[in-house]
Amino acid sequence: MEYLFKFPESLRIGNGEAIDIAVKAFSRNHRETLGLIKSAIIASINSINTLLEAIPWPLLILLVAYMGWKVSKKPYVGPMYAAMLFFIGMCGLWENMLETISMVIVAVFLSVMMGFPLGIIVAMSKRTSAVVRPILDLMQTMPAFVYLVPAVILFSPGKTPALIATTIYAVVPMVRMTNLGIIHVDKEMVEAASAFGSTKMQLLSKVQIPQAMPAIMAGLNQTIMMAMSMVVTCALIGANGLGMEILLATNRTEMGKALMPGISIVIVAIILDRLTQGLIKKEASTE
Amino acid sequence: MNSKLKNVLLLLVMVLICTMPAQAFAKTEIVVTDNGWDSQKLHNEIARIIVENAYDGYVLKTSTASSTMNWQAIIAGDVDLDIESWTDNVATYPKDVANGDIVDVGVLAPDSNQGFYVPRYVIEGDAKRGIKPMAPGLKTVKDLAGYHKVFPDDEDKDKGRIYGSIPGWMADEVLHKKYELYGLNKNYNYVRLGSEATLFASLVAAYNLGEAWVGYCYEPTWVSGKLDLVLLQDEPYDKELFEKGATAFPSQQLKIVSSKYFAKKAPDLLEFFKKYRTGSRLIAEALAYLDEKKVSHSEAAKWLLKTHGDLLDQWLPKEKAERVRAVL
Repeated sequence: MEYLFKFPESLRIGNGEAIDIAVKAFSRNHRETLGLIKSAIIASINSINTLLEAIPWPLLILLVAYMGWKVSKKPYVGPMYAAMLFFIGMCGLWENMLETISMVIVAVFLSVMMGFPLGIIVAMSKRTSAVVRPILDLMQTMPAFVYLVPAVILFSPGKTPALIATTIYAVVPMVRMTNLGIIHVDKEMVEAASAFGSTKMQLLSKVQIPQAMPAIMAGLNQTIMMAMSMVVTCALIGANGLGMEILLATNRTEMGKALMPGISIVIVAIILDRLTQGLIKKEASTE
Repeated sequence: MNSKLKNVLLLLVMVLICTMPAQAFAKTEIVVTDNGWDSQKLHNEIARIIVENAYDGYVLKTSTASSTMNWQAIIAGDVDLDIESWTDNVATYPKDVANGDIVDVGVLAPDSNQGFYVPRYVIEGDAKRGIKPMAPGLKTVKDLAGYHKVFPDDEDKDKGRIYGSIPGWMADEVLHKKYELYGLNKNYNYVRLGSEATLFASLVAAYNLGEAWVGYCYEPTWVSGKLDLVLLQDEPYDKELFEKGATAFPSQQLKIVSSKYFAKKAPDLLEFFKKYRTGSRLIAEALAYLDEKKVSHSEAAKWLLKTHGDLLDQWLPKEKAERVRAVL
């Protein structure tokens, strides 16, 4: 009876050693290409970081406060955002915050660049959709650690594997929401446009994408949130920033010390969220 | 809806009734920490073979968590033992022992090392792989100051990169002080990776490419068993200067520590854990075997007990040692 309850050992497959060997060989054989990708990513993150660091901190706080007020149209929002950012500075986490934000900006930019066109393609063809959707599920559920280590083997620790991991996670909502937005555009509107003789490209750029904009903006917002949520995981592979502070503190069971960068992440996330949400509403109201 | 709920409840009750007898006759569970590194897993598996076969009525369970979480669990009494405890890395260890929250059971390995390591080919080259010596004069940590060009940081081209220890470990604090004290911060960035998995991955990645790498490592691990690494020399150990980062690490004792309840819970096992003792070389050998043959930790543990047959006699009374031998 035992063979019914115990999976037979003879059917077991290997431990994936072949994959280990392949990854290592790949990193040896494609050093130059990998090096190019790496320096491009590092350069883009570093330049955004220098840009952010070049802004004097009072100016950045004022800027965020102004945008908050502009977007929400409520007078108390501006000072509130300013106070929240000021708090991050008081915790001594200003530089770490800038580092985290520059990573998030590049990750979100990459996610939009890839996710937006992919979302359109998926919306256009059922067959691509059938292929892409399970891949998206995989990207969201595969524990990050599984691909962090190969990413480290290929790109050596630092910002590059961190960015790749973040992008893998953050691109998914962009694809999904773009796809959904376009699918749900009113059929009659599409038919009317076709009846007036618009080409596929015109239909897309003049009807479908503008109509899908609220959904696409919601996707962008989710992408930013996802990217923010990965910062602690990224600290595991040597990306500095707020995540590293959390890791340092929690590994010493200094709960209080971990709370400050934790709250800072929440603050950055809330501000980014409200600002993009505000943009969505603006977009919707101009429709 | 309601009938569905009833059915689910009924099923739950059935399952409970079915599993109750098993619960009633369950053996005493001995919970040991599994903080995620290989040598500890191996030590746990060796202990499992002995606890479950040489003694009656015990079953070994592991508690998988980070080392700090598990440490708190031992203090609380939820976890019984940490078989391979790097007590020198636990800041609160002296206080916890003094308070009686943690009990020293024995010394597992007297000769573990840690510090900054480089692959041997960095210093000596490797003719077989066509690697020329990159830093032929590198012997001590202080020498690193002159070699920052050998260990370039891709994210900051003008500086070298040193991999520090795991954030939050005592070793990391000491090494970071050393990095500042020795003036390495002028030419190097101190990069911390959040876990051993990624720290070792960076070492393996560099080793795979034959590139230079300098950073924290410790023995025994599978890495030190498998890769040819050199520990950079430092000033002789001195307790006070060490905390300022001015000396080498002391050759550490890996300890077996238990919760304050363990001695009462399993007095007969305590005898074994007092005698349980391995060593850096022994464990590195088993871990290299594990990595090479891709076997599980428990198979590597069996292999070690078989190839070093005298270990059992050192740890156990004769009759118990025979009982373990019978299952190997």
